[in-house]
Amino acid sequence: MENNKMIEVTDLSKDYHVVKKEAGLSGAIKGLFKSGKQTIKAVSHVDLSVDKGEIIAVIGPNGAGKSSLIKMMTGVLTPTGGQVLINGKDITKNRKEVVKNIGVVFGQRTQLNWDLRLGESFELLRHIYEIDRDEYEKNLEVMDEILGIKEIINKPVRQMSLGQRVKGDLVAAMLHSPEVLFLDEPTIGLDVNTKFALRKFIKEINRVNKTTIVLTTHDLGDIEELCERLIIINHGKIIEDCNLLDITDRIAPYKTLVVEYYDDENIPTHENSTLDKVEGNVARYRFMKNDITAAALIAELSNKKKMKDVAIEEVGIDEIIRIAYGQ
Amino acid sequence: MKWINKYLFVYKTQIIRSFTYKYDVYGNIIMQTIIMITSAFFWRALYGFDISKPYGDVMVNGVRLEDMLTYIIMSSVLSVLLSTNVERRIESSVRNGSISTDMMKPLNIFGIYLSEDLGRITALIFQNILPILIIGSLFIKVPAMSDLTQLPRFCISMMLSFGINWLLAALFGMWAFTAIDVDALIQVKKHLLRLLSGSIIPLWFFPDWFANILKALPFAYIYQLPLDIYIGKSSDVEVLQMMTIQAIWLVVLGLAFFIVSKRATRKIMIQGG
Repeated sequence: MENNKMIEVTDLSKDYHVVKKEAGLSGAIKGLFKSGKQTIKAVSHVDLSVDKGEIIAVIGPNGAGKSSLIKMMTGVLTPTGGQVLINGKDITKNRKEVVKNIGVVFGQRTQLNWDLRLGESFELLRHIYEIDRDEYEKNLEVMDEILGIKEIINKPVRQMSLGQRVKGDLVAAMLHSPEVLFLDEPTIGLDVNTKFALRKFIKEINRVNKTTIVLTTHDLGDIEELCERLIIINHGKIIEDCNLLDITDRIAPYKTLVVEYYDDENIPTHENSTLDKVEGNVARYRFMKNDITAAALIAELSNKKKMKDVAIEEVGIDEIIRIAYGQ
Repeated sequence: MKWINKYLFVYKTQIIRSFTYKYDVYGNIIMQTIIMITSAFFWRALYGFDISKPYGDVMVNGVRLEDMLTYIIMSSVLSVLLSTNVERRIESSVRNGSISTDMMKPLNIFGIYLSEDLGRITALIFQNILPILIIGSLFIKVPAMSDLTQLPRFCISMMLSFGINWLLAALFGMWAFTAIDVDALIQVKKHLLRLLSGSIIPLWFFPDWFANILKALPFAYIYQLPLDIYIGKSSDVEVLQMMTIQAIWLVVLGLAFFIVSKRATRKIMIQGG
């Protein structure tokens, strides 16, 4: 029987102990004698399972526990409780073995060496991960097609633009063909073209190599482009774990019809929709997808009053996430 | 033995990296030259050197001026061979978080740091040691070894002192990385070590009671012992005795390093890098 679970996180918790200090001089003096210890639950009792070949996005507001979760999943942070299995192996017990099978990209820092040319950094990684030359050349060839990495391979990393550096980092993380790739805000601060290339690359390696990808991001475009599954965490807990379409249907199952009339007199209403807002001759109708189709609503409304223009707005992913955070 | 290839490549890469820095290198040559030349004047004055008389016979504590001058040139050479970056490396990687990316590699992080230090020093042989030797030979004297049969002993003792020095630096780095101003601490440690190790003033010029204390500490075995062997100051028995103590210190510090590094890694992994 083949185990299809690539990542299994069970009952994972992380507490940080911080010394609590009171403000002001009296607080500082009190602190000399006794210091109150405060426990912060960065991650509490998280269960998560990711199949081979899945791409998931982990999102949450700043300080929600995303980074701690990713750090524990990559084995650089010891959990307070629970365990992480990567391809069936416990990462805290077999760290050296498991890390050979994962690749990591942090958008905000680099594993490339500032003083070296990109190619020299790659050569170093080739030796560290014991990749043989043929496989290395082949991998590089494939990645070059999408990212055009060979153009910059002789450039020192310190002279690279952010986009070039992140591309380099992504290639560096994939050189040893890991089965799991962690991307921590990979597109942060990048221009549209670079983002596009990166997303294409991520999709491609997922398709070809069946690489399991865990992505954290604040960029909703990343999510819409790449993921089918969305994990939302807040206050150290998973508050949503669902399909991108399902969450839209559940949290915001409505659309908005925006109608522009020729004038603002006698704006009509409709029993299957609510008139959200009227601004001059523009009216916004909110309707449930199950109650009425947009076509029917337009037809029935235009019988009542002549329309100049219509538009249909769906609730954007950012709105959904905002609602989910607020829950 | 395949694992060693990885570290060899880290070593090789560090050599390439080191050649990208130029100004640090010139700075150190200038500094070492100044230290060497002033020490030479200082010792010549102390020995009552008079240019019109042959000076070969004046002995202080059983050491001729000739040998003393060799001592200071070789001490400058040793100070380059024994320079370490591991303290700063620990501190900066914890502070900027790159320690997590290092830990995600299938390598031991201290293995990486040691390979990097060795690579850096290899580059320094060309960047620093050769210029220092040339300047020393031209302006002071050729620092020839007194008895070439002692060369194997000198080399072994050099390796041991490198080990002691590196372990001390790594231990110090693990202790210091939480401090606010690590650079200042590193400077204090560096100069204290040079003073206590006989690098600037040989131990035989200290009062006996103080020299004895220093002989019980590991520092003297970093500079003084290899230099003693180089100028042929001590008898065979003394040298072997001191090399035994040196080896014992290496083992003791090795054990301490093993325990402390385990604890430090665990602490970093619990607090989050």
